[in-house]
Amino acid sequence: MEYNLDQFGMSKEELFAPVDHNDLESEKITAPRYSYWHSVFRVFFKKKINIFILALLGVIVLLAYLYPLFVDYDRYMNVLDASTKHLTPAKAIERFGFSIHWIMGTGGAGQSTWDSIWYGSRISISLAFVCALINMTIGVLFGAIWGFSKKVDVVMIEIYNIVANVPYLLVISVMVMIFSASFWTLVFAMTVTGWLAIAYFMRTQVLIIRDREYNLASKCLGTSSFKIAMKNILPFLTSIIMTVVATEIPSYISYEVFLSYIGMGMSDASLGRLIFEAESAMLTPGWQFEFWCPVAVASIITVVLYVAGQNLGDASDPRTHM
Amino acid sequence: MTKYLLKRLLHGVISIIFVVAIVMLLIYSLMDRDKIFSSDSAYSHQKNNAKIAYMYQKWEEYGYLDYVPYSDYMKSLMKSGDIDEATYKESVKLGKTAKQDKKIAKENAAKFKKYYESKGYTVERVDAITQRNRIADGGASLLFAYKNTPVTTRLFRYLTGIFKFDSVNTIEDIEGKRGLTFTWKDPAYGGDKFAPALMGNGTNHKYLIYVDNKFPFVHQNMLSLNLGLSYTVNQGVEITTTMTQSQGMTKSVMTTYPTGLQEESADDLHSAVYSAGSLVDNPINEARFTDNYTRVQLRRGGKSKLGYSFIIGIFDVIFAYLIGLPLGVLMARKKDKFIDKLGTVYIMFIIAIPSLAYIFLFKAIGGSLFHLPTQFDTKDEIWPMYILPIISLCLPAIAGLMKWMRRFMIDQMSADYVKFARSGGLSEKEIFSKHIMKNAAVPMCHDIPASVLGALTGAIITERVYGVPGVGDVLTQAIGKYDNGVIVGVTLFYAVLSVLALVLGDTLMSVVDPRISFSTKDR
Repeated sequence: MEYNLDQFGMSKEELFAPVDHNDLESEKITAPRYSYWHSVFRVFFKKKINIFILALLGVIVLLAYLYPLFVDYDRYMNVLDASTKHLTPAKAIERFGFSIHWIMGTGGAGQSTWDSIWYGSRISISLAFVCALINMTIGVLFGAIWGFSKKVDVVMIEIYNIVANVPYLLVISVMVMIFSASFWTLVFAMTVTGWLAIAYFMRTQVLIIRDREYNLASKCLGTSSFKIAMKNILPFLTSIIMTVVATEIPSYISYEVFLSYIGMGMSDASLGRLIFEAESAMLTPGWQFEFWCPVAVASIITVVLYVAGQNLGDASDPRTHM
Repeated sequence: MTKYLLKRLLHGVISIIFVVAIVMLLIYSLMDRDKIFSSDSAYSHQKNNAKIAYMYQKWEEYGYLDYVPYSDYMKSLMKSGDIDEATYKESVKLGKTAKQDKKIAKENAAKFKKYYESKGYTVERVDAITQRNRIADGGASLLFAYKNTPVTTRLFRYLTGIFKFDSVNTIEDIEGKRGLTFTWKDPAYGGDKFAPALMGNGTNHKYLIYVDNKFPFVHQNMLSLNLGLSYTVNQGVEITTTMTQSQGMTKSVMTTYPTGLQEESADDLHSAVYSAGSLVDNPINEARFTDNYTRVQLRRGGKSKLGYSFIIGIFDVIFAYLIGLPLGVLMARKKDKFIDKLGTVYIMFIIAIPSLAYIFLFKAIGGSLFHLPTQFDTKDEIWPMYILPIISLCLPAIAGLMKWMRRFMIDQMSADYVKFARSGGLSEKEIFSKHIMKNAAVPMCHDIPASVLGALTGAIITERVYGVPGVGDVLTQAIGKYDNGVIVGVTLFYAVLSVLALVLGDTLMSVVDPRISFSTKDR
């Protein structure tokens, strides 16, 4: 049947017109765009405290990594001048005149406590990040495979039971004895068995979600185990991984402090070593300030890193994105 | 269940052996063996060649190698009758260098070399060190053979030597008749008090079983644990003794010696050990003892390393569970309220801040605000000195327990049975105390044996900060002084505790919760 379109008295624009079929267009989803990381940061910054924590973290990183580049710090600058040793901030400012170097007083060699703390922080923070990076990468990847493959599990659980019983302290100290007590020795010592604990934790997490229906379906469709572990399971665990990172990084700083305190740390002037060296000042009345400063800075750094990581972990859980 | 437990224990034993093997491999093959002398004062006093001889002697004593000096070889030849005494005396005199040896010495030295080299030993000759044409102090020339002991042999020797059984044939040369004697009246108490004791002749210990007034009242010396010998941490003393020996002042009481002599003395006759040739020509021993069992330990006051650590540790565990669990429950009940947030902040601080920082903080606060003793004093023990170490261990433990108790409670709160109980009209209080808590407490039980046994391992930082002479410092001290025997022994001790803790934890869980069963039959 033929219609004359003119008889309706409509303009061309108002009329239906045939549209070309376009495969590409038909695949488009018109729902609002969802980006995972975008949502993570939206949730993260919704909490005002996180902005504060992040700002604090920024200040710490700047002080630890940029500040030492601009000051000329020499530990033994005042070593011959007995009147510069163990000064409280007030006395140090009186002695040297006001400058940022002296706001935390001076140490046993007449050095500026403030400068030595940030030099030490750089070493400690670097150590924590390097160790966390290595341990997390190996631990998470291996843990995913470990949890997924029953054959690997049988072998690894035995290895874990054995290695977990070798005191961590012993492994580290033997490494320090064999090699020198340098930064990379400590990194090696802390990572050589350190990843196993993380891998074991990941294994347990993977076991929990391994046999869920979507993985079963994926398996039926012929996806390889490796791909299931990497693509189906790991993304599911992002928030758990973030939470582990949040506890791991400060724990390396704490561990470094602990090792230095018992005299097994590295020879570089890290935060732990500063605390170790200032411990004797603890016993002399009036000198305690020297000890508390590095302790307080170490505590602030670890708390900030921990809170930032925890909150990022919370934010990276998709269930909080509603 | 029993079968399962036995299997688990067997598994544990195997993994302990592996742990010891790994540790031995680490310290005996990777570490320079010269380092064991670094804190030995006797070593630094040795001079010239005597130093070398001393090193080899010590290495043999601590199982690194087999060491045979030339003179020992010659002595054994003389004992077996191959050579007479004159030849022996003539041939052990070595010249300043091998060329200057007299003829007979040269022959015997060559024989020595041939004999030991054929057995796979390395024979070494060290020339004399002279000073102004005279032999310097400790500079006499040396001739000896040695053979390194491989780690596998060491491991085997160590593991087979852990349990030492004291039998009547332990001592080779013994006076009198070998055998055991049982008495109802222990002569160490004067001979008229009722105290059963089993004594031996030919055994290493004189008293095999005896009774005294110390816990557990009946003691035995038949089976002893030999975890190895300490080198520098506690010179020449076994590790088990180092850890269990009281460390206080000696305590004298009226003692009746075997000869009948009565005297105020700290000698603990029950610890008498055979010591060859110690009686004859020794007036002090002759007045007191009737046989060669003369080496006694001194009675001491105070507690052992293990004792101090355990007291602090066990109170820490008790308080932590008494305070931590209820707080965790409270946090879960008031979820997202002020008290929960406060608890979370506390947990966060404990986890994030280095433990060193808050231990020193507790020490400073406790010392200046509450005037508690901040240093341990073993000579003058008062109970307040235990308070700060216990608090320092307790507060972090509480945080851990709070965290997990809250977690488990919250996980249970959304379970179906809780909704069902609520719809059944139970009050919130009843649901919490009767349903949720029971289920949440099951995983918490798993850690109780680990915490109790963990009290035996001590705490490194706390003990250092407060000067507690506990067991926590033994490993770090041993590592610092390169005392390898102690490192291996302490590691074995830790490994046994942790394996035991795991098995006990699983058992406790299955006892508390009948739904958990490990035997396949019950399923």
